[in-house]
Amino acid sequence: MSLIVSMSPHIRGKTTIEGMMRTFLIGLLPPAMAGVYLFGGRVLTIMALSVATALSVESFIEGVTHKPLTYRDCHAVLIGLLLALILPPTVPWWIPVVGAAVAIILGKMVFGGLGTYPFNPVLVAWVVLTLSWGERMTLFCAPHTTEQVLTPLMAVKEDPALFYSYELLPLFLGDKAGAIGTVCGPAILGGGLMVLLRGLIRWHIPISFLLGVALFSAVLRAINPDVYPPVAFELVGGGVLLGAFFLAPEPVTSPLTPLGMAAFGFLAGVTTMVIRMWGADPDGTFYAILIMNAATPLFNSLTPRAYGRGYA
Amino acid sequence: MGLFLKGIRLPRKVATLDLVEAPLPTRVILPLRQYIGEPARPVVSVGDRVKVGQLIGAAEQGASLPLHATIAGEVVGIEEHLDHRGTTVPSVVINSDGTDSWVDDTGEEMGSLAPPEILERIRGAGVVLKGMLPIPLASDLLPPDQPTTHLALTGEKVVRRIDTLLITALDLEPALLVNRYLAQTGTDELTAGLSALRAVTGAGRTVFVVDKGSPLSPQLTEMAAAQEETTTIISLDGRRFPIGLPVPLIKAALGREVPLPYGHPRDVGAALYDVDTVISAARGIRGIPQVDTLITVGGGAMATGGVVRLRIGTPLGALIESLGGFRGDPVKITTGGPMTGMAQWELTVPITKDIPAVFAFTGDEIELVGAYRECINCGLCVKVCPVNLVPGVLSLYCARDRFEVAERQGLFACIECGCCDYVCPSRRPLVHLFRHAKHELMEGRR
Repeated sequence: MSLIVSMSPHIRGKTTIEGMMRTFLIGLLPPAMAGVYLFGGRVLTIMALSVATALSVESFIEGVTHKPLTYRDCHAVLIGLLLALILPPTVPWWIPVVGAAVAIILGKMVFGGLGTYPFNPVLVAWVVLTLSWGERMTLFCAPHTTEQVLTPLMAVKEDPALFYSYELLPLFLGDKAGAIGTVCGPAILGGGLMVLLRGLIRWHIPISFLLGVALFSAVLRAINPDVYPPVAFELVGGGVLLGAFFLAPEPVTSPLTPLGMAAFGFLAGVTTMVIRMWGADPDGTFYAILIMNAATPLFNSLTPRAYGRGYA
Repeated sequence: MGLFLKGIRLPRKVATLDLVEAPLPTRVILPLRQYIGEPARPVVSVGDRVKVGQLIGAAEQGASLPLHATIAGEVVGIEEHLDHRGTTVPSVVINSDGTDSWVDDTGEEMGSLAPPEILERIRGAGVVLKGMLPIPLASDLLPPDQPTTHLALTGEKVVRRIDTLLITALDLEPALLVNRYLAQTGTDELTAGLSALRAVTGAGRTVFVVDKGSPLSPQLTEMAAAQEETTTIISLDGRRFPIGLPVPLIKAALGREVPLPYGHPRDVGAALYDVDTVISAARGIRGIPQVDTLITVGGGAMATGGVVRLRIGTPLGALIESLGGFRGDPVKITTGGPMTGMAQWELTVPITKDIPAVFAFTGDEIELVGAYRECINCGLCVKVCPVNLVPGVLSLYCARDRFEVAERQGLFACIECGCCDYVCPSRRPLVHLFRHAKHELMEGRR
């Protein structure tokens, strides 16, 4: 009889990295399906190319560097799918391929793989694509058509008064131009709430993110309602919902203490609005999250008070 | 109060009223030190015949406890022997003669004793607290280095008074049964022990913590009703681990925070003992030395389980055999429960006074952690940590040998409950890393 000797605890819970990633993937299904419904089967090709590239590039790198293969943990699939969801539906086939490769190589693997990277790999890839092929990354089309239109936020950027021409309910339901996964509000909320209720993303980040956007735009609107769009327009007009539920709470690059998460989300929301109002990017959500990623170690120092501290 | 939302929920076994009496062992190994402190001095020699309850080890200073023979027979050796903590301790080995005859002068009446006498009798009986920090009950009541700061023994001024006697019927872990079993059976000894401990601590009120799902013996309910002004019963959810450990329990029951890292319940005016200890104390006050112990036996590899009464010093292997041996193939055997127990590799180690349970696990029940992965910052450990640490970040410092940084972030406040390990999706051995760091820091300071 041979006995194993190790430290307590001897039993373990059921949470695994694979399980977490799978839950995120299931949460992303509704926005992905909404994207396919609104923009047609072309979108499926974009997703498939992105996921396949992410998986094969990751496995290739792990192969040549003699590291254990990690395709089973579904993290590469998650990166690929998320990247596809923030691309415009009109992109040529090679954009998701290049993007997914950049996300895996530059975003994830150069730092040592899952758990080590400082910036959200999906957003790193998005920034590289936007800076390199800006005109292709800003070509949006209206749902169910190939007609090229501006996204609501781009239109408002050109002429602030244009927000009057948008009705809020269709905007929320998905009747607008935008990136594949960001247009259908109910789908994102449904998927996001599912992940939230499973306890895998902490409510602090999404809620405080939305709060940051809402409060800042409410203040602006109170100052001059003729120039600044209503709060709801800012919440559903662009990438805020997807950012709040799936990009900002990405575990590795977001803080892990309750207070840190709340501050992170709130400041990311405020930064989003600052970029929208005075920055070059019409949406601003993705840049705001990237900027806050850099400050994550700072937010982590907002720790809860350990027991007995300040008592003895 | 009574609200405790951190930690994890574990499955719990229902405590039944069945008690398994382990047969008398043919040989016992009695380490002269079964607690944190100094070993006792042996007062018998090889070849001597001893009876049950006879003194075989005498207490030297305040930090040691007397030891009594637990079976009748012949002393066959006084030698170094491995104990369940992995250290070798001088031990007295006794071979049974099968008679189980006791020494005559045990079991006198309690009468009315003054607190110093009660304390002396508790020390004389050799009662030890079970669990992760096994110290003699008498030393816990009256620390040798600060004798009169808390207890009103001599009528002098007390620096910090103990106002609440907290008696818990919760076990250290939801998988353990002994305290819940004892709270259901509720003997006279429990009532006697309660009043004795109240006299010693000078506590004005008693708070009785019971498990929400387990019934309480009518005798206890009656007693609480009779002393309504001074006794409160609080029921807590025993499935929520680590509510049975001292620090979270005091927080949940009294709303007080023990000042970690070096704090003690008495620093917040509480004395915390479990039902098992109270009963042992009551027996000790009556003059009955601690010769047997109640433990929980469980795990999928054991043929029988439940609450077992056995003689102290029974070797682990002999105990398992006398309970019917293994049912499955044991992969890990622990003294203590699945969350806080210690894995054993030798079945010759004796069951000592500080062991609360014996578990034998099959391969399906435990998870073998080989290669663990990087921390993915998910924050589940922060959510469960009962003392509000950030285990994930601490573990990174510990794994990279930056122990001082870890200490500044509260490493020594960790109570090693294992909740963070339990939930970690990357399967990081967090408690292992913390213990390693604590050990390195302590060694460096010697």
